[in-house]
Amino acid sequence: MKEVDTDSNSHAACICPIYCIVPPHILKRIAEHGNANQKSWAFRTLAISEQARGQRQAVGLIAALATTSTGTKRRTVYDARNSSRLPGTIVRAEGGPKSKDPAVNEAYLGAGTTYDLYYKVFGRNSIDERGMRLDSTVHYGRDYDNAFWNGQQMVYGDGDGELFNRFTIAIDVIGHELTHGVTQYEAGLEYEDQPGALNESMSDVFGSLVKQYRRRQTAKNADWLIGKGLLASGVKGKALRSMKEPGTAYDDDLLGKDPQPGHMKDYVKTHDDNGGVHINSGIPNRAFYETAIRLGGYAWQKAGQIWYVALRDKLRPTSQFKDAAKATWMAARELYGNGSLELKAVQQGWSEVGIKV
Amino acid sequence: MKIDFTRSGGFAGMRSAVAIDTENLPSTESERLHRLVEEAGFFDLPAALKSTAPGGDRFQYRVKVEEGTRRKEIVADEAAVPERLRPLLDYLTGWARASQKRKTV
Ligand SMILES: [Zn+2]
Repeated sequence: MKEVDTDSNSHAACICPIYCIVPPHILKRIAEHGNANQKSWAFRTLAISEQARGQRQAVGLIAALATTSTGTKRRTVYDARNSSRLPGTIVRAEGGPKSKDPAVNEAYLGAGTTYDLYYKVFGRNSIDERGMRLDSTVHYGRDYDNAFWNGQQMVYGDGDGELFNRFTIAIDVIGHELTHGVTQYEAGLEYEDQPGALNESMSDVFGSLVKQYRRRQTAKNADWLIGKGLLASGVKGKALRSMKEPGTAYDDDLLGKDPQPGHMKDYVKTHDDNGGVHINSGIPNRAFYETAIRLGGYAWQKAGQIWYVALRDKLRPTSQFKDAAKATWMAARELYGNGSLELKAVQQGWSEVGIKV
Repeated sequence: MKIDFTRSGGFAGMRSAVAIDTENLPSTESERLHRLVEEAGFFDLPAALKSTAPGGDRFQYRVKVEEGTRRKEIVADEAAVPERLRPLLDYLTGWARASQKRKTV
């Protein structure tokens, strides 16, 4: 697909005279309803005018923006060669040739699709909204059954081959990890209890949207599974989580049963996993699914937009589930208006999981 | 020596755990565990090893050790695990997996 750097660069160059004239509420409308390019431009202009109002080094910021080209991916894939040293050795840089190593290509491609979803659909300029590099390390550790975001980059283990395959195998895992970065720069949700479960849920929501976007699947046709393909053959399960039916992803002698609840009445109280952040995320995950399925079409177009605005503008580090319900409701009202179908879908989505807006 | 070990969290959010009484182990294994606990300086560790850096999907460890009159429980974020504790955690992680496997036999 063709990139549109030159266009957005020229916007950035003449940003000052424009932001002085276009009032913020119009910018906001463009930011919300324009095409990807317009959105990105309006977002940045809004950011600048807010900075300028706060008298915070507006000149330096504009200079910085003029050199940061929107829509330019800067991916680097490193190989840790089974050590736990980060980032490791560079094995593929932006525009570089394909590797013989599938993990390298998956990490590269997955980061690209995630970048595209954020840029083209939500008008976001990378993880930090300022063109941040997308760094990934593959082959981390030995038989390492995990993938994580360390605050600066994505890290993928090979899995042990007996229970887990390599973690780059599922593109939603990549979208999930990158979204931890977005959350870090936006809502900053604490990684514990309900705020932590919301942090996890946001990563699953946008991770799943990355997969749906890549496959051009509607909400109805998507499988809403997280980490399909990750469980090794012989393990009884289809994936690690199900957003549609939390608690049904696996049931295996070795791994046990998927512990996710899909309703507030089944909320799990535990000291493990920072208060069950990967467990209770099933509740907001299902609220998103229930909203998206009511709205129909591509989930990233409406439900995704609503959740993105909530993550960017409304959620706070200590937000609870009910705050998230309110945040998405407010975002839907701003985007689609009072009495809209979208607003109603959000309300019903949360109501399905026992949370009243 | 008695050890209770749990690893939770990670992308998969799966819990794996094992309880070991070194009395029931072959002497080589028992000696190895005693050595790893000593080398970790386990009884001098803070009760909570918390990482303040942002991030997501790291493992969380909970380890309880009882030996004679000494008794200690720690909770450690993977990102905050000191180098000297790592070998003990890796060893116990292996035990937890092995004991999960035994359930199926
Ligand atoms: Zn996560």
